[in-house]
Amino acid sequence: MRVAVVGKGGSGKTTTSAVVARTLARHGHRVVAVDCDSNPTLGISLGLGADDTERLVARREELDEGESEHAPSWDELIDRFGSDAPDGVRLAVVTRIQNPEPG
Amino acid sequence: MRVAFVGKGGAGKSAIAGTFARLLARRDGPVLAVDSDPMPGLAFSVGVPVTDAPIPDEAVQERAEGEEGPRFRLREGLTAAEAVQRYAAAGPDGVRFLQFGKLRGSSGGLLRSQFAFRQILSSLPEEGWNVVGDLPGGTRQAFFGWGGYARTILVVVEPTAKSLLSARRLARLATVDPPPDAVVAVANKVREPGDVELVARRTGLEVVASVPWDEALADAERQGRAPIDAAPDSASVAAVASLLDRLGKVS
Repeated sequence: MRVAVVGKGGSGKTTTSAVVARTLARHGHRVVAVDCDSNPTLGISLGLGADDTERLVARREELDEGESEHAPSWDELIDRFGSDAPDGVRLAVVTRIQNPEPG
Repeated sequence: MRVAFVGKGGAGKSAIAGTFARLLARRDGPVLAVDSDPMPGLAFSVGVPVTDAPIPDEAVQERAEGEEGPRFRLREGLTAAEAVQRYAAAGPDGVRFLQFGKLRGSSGGLLRSQFAFRQILSSLPEEGWNVVGDLPGGTRQAFFGWGGYARTILVVVEPTAKSLLSARRLARLATVDPPPDAVVAVANKVREPGDVELVARRTGLEVVASVPWDEALADAERQGRAPIDAAPDSASVAAVASLLDRLGKVS
């Protein structure tokens, strides 16, 4: 199953995503939770905590600043930009944090 | 006075910004309220009867081949003040209202309006115009200068983990070049005695206003009405009035 959660700011996208991800994982599915928000906070709703969430963001920012290389494959991306959240959910922060496009 | 409200989605930026714009207009003359969210919502909170008011294509011209500067700009001879007079929607209490316009399908359709919007804000004379801005939720637009017109950045924070984390990231707006005069926090949806202290501690920002959790404000939002019209005597509107008092004394 592959789902994407969208909506206006503050409508509950992140919370919904986290509950869906953990519920799927508890039912035995392998789950990757992908945070595509330029202000990534999915780690908090998954129960990863603020410090680990910020660590993932910092790792992603190193890439944007040219201090590390892009992951060549999906598996490596999940490995390098991901962290283990409760119930076996793997969280990856994959958004470009800084982007000059408005909105 | 030139302020911009930033914060995580759902923190209450629009409700507070709309109320702030109306109160400021009542006290201090012309206010331009600006919504740079491609999913705009400020119009409801100001009480302006429009939901989609982009700057029209005919007000904008594309950069000629070999010309310097941004890709789009206001058409030759059209000043920022004239563009506001002509294209900003008129709202209650003399508030004028300008927005990007709504996102439809691809972002390409809004580009012209967005460039013009930014030019208007950067070149509108400070004399005679107050500006109250509402940025989209999150950090990205704020860090790319879309709130650069503001002397004071107001970070709206509710006492939740995600909102506090977002606000801590936004606190770094104090270090952009050129820096705003101040980056301060507005605690919103405050329910517990320790909430204001929590916001101050976790964001590192000075908290200049505390807006209580307010069912009357939530009702106004549900109805799509401006809080200042639907709940003029509410505790949250009173708190925004205190915020205005405080900023007025500072500036």
